[in-house]
Amino acid sequence: MAPPATQDGSSSKPIVLLADPFIPEFEQELAPSYRLLPAADADEAAAASARALLTVDLPAVTAAQIDALPALELVVASSAGVDHINLGACRRRGIAVTNAQNAFSADAADYAVGLLVAVLRRVAAADAYVRRGAWAAAAGDYPLASKVSGKRVGIVGLGSIGGLVARRLAAFGCVIAYNSRSPKASAPYKFYPSVRELAAESDVLVLSCALTEETRRMVGREVMEALGKGGVLVNVGRGGLVDEAELVRCLREGVLGGAGLDVYENEPEVPPELWGMDNVVLSDHRAVITPESIQGVVDVVKANLDAFFSGKPLVSQVQL
Amino acid sequence: MDSLGVLLVAPMNAYLEQELDRRCRLFRLWESPADRRDDYLRAHASSIRAVVPYAPQGVDAAMIDALPSLEIVSSFSVGIDRVDLDACRRRGVRVTNTPDVLTDDVADLAVGLAIAALRKIPQADRYVRAGKWKSKGDFTLTTRFSGKRVGILGLGRIGLAVAKRAEAFDCPISYHSRSEKPFPKYKFYPNVVDLAANCDVLVVACSLNPETRHIVNRKVIDALGPEGVLINIARGAHVDEPELISALLEKRLGGAGLDVFEDEPFAPEQLFELDNVVLVPHVGSDTEETCRAMADLFSGKRVGIIGLGRIGLAVAKRVEAFDCPVNYYQRTKQDHPGYTYYPSVVELAASSDVLVVACPLNEHTRHIVNREVMEALGPRGVLINIGRGPHVDEAAMVAALADGRLGGAGLDVFEDEPNVPEALLGMDNVVLVPHVGSATHETRTAMADLVLGNLEAHVAGKPLLTQVV
Repeated sequence: MAPPATQDGSSSKPIVLLADPFIPEFEQELAPSYRLLPAADADEAAAASARALLTVDLPAVTAAQIDALPALELVVASSAGVDHINLGACRRRGIAVTNAQNAFSADAADYAVGLLVAVLRRVAAADAYVRRGAWAAAAGDYPLASKVSGKRVGIVGLGSIGGLVARRLAAFGCVIAYNSRSPKASAPYKFYPSVRELAAESDVLVLSCALTEETRRMVGREVMEALGKGGVLVNVGRGGLVDEAELVRCLREGVLGGAGLDVYENEPEVPPELWGMDNVVLSDHRAVITPESIQGVVDVVKANLDAFFSGKPLVSQVQL
Repeated sequence: MDSLGVLLVAPMNAYLEQELDRRCRLFRLWESPADRRDDYLRAHASSIRAVVPYAPQGVDAAMIDALPSLEIVSSFSVGIDRVDLDACRRRGVRVTNTPDVLTDDVADLAVGLAIAALRKIPQADRYVRAGKWKSKGDFTLTTRFSGKRVGILGLGRIGLAVAKRAEAFDCPISYHSRSEKPFPKYKFYPNVVDLAANCDVLVVACSLNPETRHIVNRKVIDALGPEGVLINIARGAHVDEPELISALLEKRLGGAGLDVFEDEPFAPEQLFELDNVVLVPHVGSDTEETCRAMADLFSGKRVGIIGLGRIGLAVAKRVEAFDCPVNYYQRTKQDHPGYTYYPSVVELAASSDVLVVACPLNEHTRHIVNREVMEALGPRGVLINIGRGPHVDEAAMVAALADGRLGGAGLDVFEDEPNVPEALLGMDNVVLVPHVGSATHETRTAMADLVLGNLEAHVAGKPLLTQVV
């Protein structure tokens, strides 16, 4: 739904402030209907009248920024998690927040499975082994890996991503259990009320929950010890869910068997200690970076903006 | 299967439970309190026709007796040592297990390679390790796996396991095989090129035989096209490798995930610099769990050895390590009290699961393994020949293998070397190794080890390891 056309053309298109620099895919879809303005470049009049703010690449949206925009009614996030936005400030001001809904779920779930298989079956290390000519030179077998099928997989956060991870890994013959704020009546998997208990009963722990004050650093040494020396941690949620310094220590000391990490506490910083470990698979927060996901999220963002400016219900409002 | 009443003893596997629930009338024993389970069984006794036991507990005679309608015990495990087989036999209850222990590993890797190739996971891993994320920003955009059209070449056990996994990613499945299979939800293509033209990811999962050698040729690769990805977890010779290399270099093919190569352990070096391929060193089934499972399958098998000379003894010593009882035939009884002597080869074969030929070749031993011996070894028996080709009536063996009267064979020698009977090349229950041609004790010991390695693989139903010619 396009906003109502006005007589004086483009200059009266509704303003949408951008919390980050232009992202071409968004500009192409949104520019015909909205005046996209980087927040940093907005003049006083624009800042005073802007009703919507768009965030794409997880910039921190602080209380100060929110307070500097007196007319702000909506923050549109193009991510599944909204931990980069000061939700307390939004709540106080009555500002609505929307997220990417399910646009990323399939890719995030695929990537979690890809990382899990890559760690257990040593895919990345084996690929490096072949490429450096070691296979031909060694004239022997590559070390045995660990089986995927039949592994007990604990999923932290059985939302839309966690649910898809569960469904995919169930088809691999994995035994699925989960932890979340409360048991899901519809889930045919065993529920554990704490992450530590879940870790103790799992071979692999997959993090696919939102980062909140309750979940920050929920995976500390205790959880990693419960997961154990044969255990594997897969994180496609947020770096802040894990005590990263402790993770590095646990991997180095053999307390934890391996890890597949797409997210880190201080991106793009990745602890250099991990670079030399062949029981970890690392990537650059790219689980959801596919053309399919980007198109999906552009659609969701546009649908939210169109709904907002035409007074209709938002399509993916986050409960604050 | 809607009407089949199935008793599931414990919540072993979410997928199993979900599918049983969908397809059968499922009774969940663990949901009733431990002290009420007898009542639960009594209440549903007339409906329960199948039991899926929890392997560590199995099924005892009391449970079998409590279920008068029971027809089958279907164990979710390889081992069925806790199932009371005698009680099942008495009642005429059938028992099954899940012997194809390799299938899962190979299928897991196939899907893992497809995701790794499409999402460039090893490339991203190298990028991050090189510190480039910070210095150069995000790595390249990649394609989604979910929903991609997956084409499978060969819908056997492994092909089906790949299909099942890919379905959970909402991938439409199609396949090519010699004949159409009874899976209406998978689309059949009688022609490989048509399959390749109508899928995004092509997975090679068929057995290797003269018809399937180079089945993925230039035409197939071009039909798959610049957005397509080839996954090969079967055999290197399924793919015309030079054509694959040039297609990848010229970007006529989108990418590849390869576990097998034509000239292992030499993977083509031209691929090493490409970032749209994932290369792993033939590790399809190399997991600790599977190797243990294979050992479990082999262990305890009764091994019969023809000729307890040096080589025969070397074999005996090694199989003992797998807890295999050793029997042997020789013209005269030997002084080896640990091994059981049989005065005839037919009797030896009838008392063995695996028969190893390790005697010298002479007028008495020519065709010592004849049709009668192979019949005695039977459809579950495996013949290993590390002696000489003429010890075995090769024509009779080929016929027995083809008819299923003999379970399998591991062969180092042949009657008319270097010619190997063509019919053997297409069989996936045969392991063939080249005759090294040395009669020294050291070489034969090494060969015994090699054959044992192959034997172990064979008993687990592993496809051809090494192929002659």
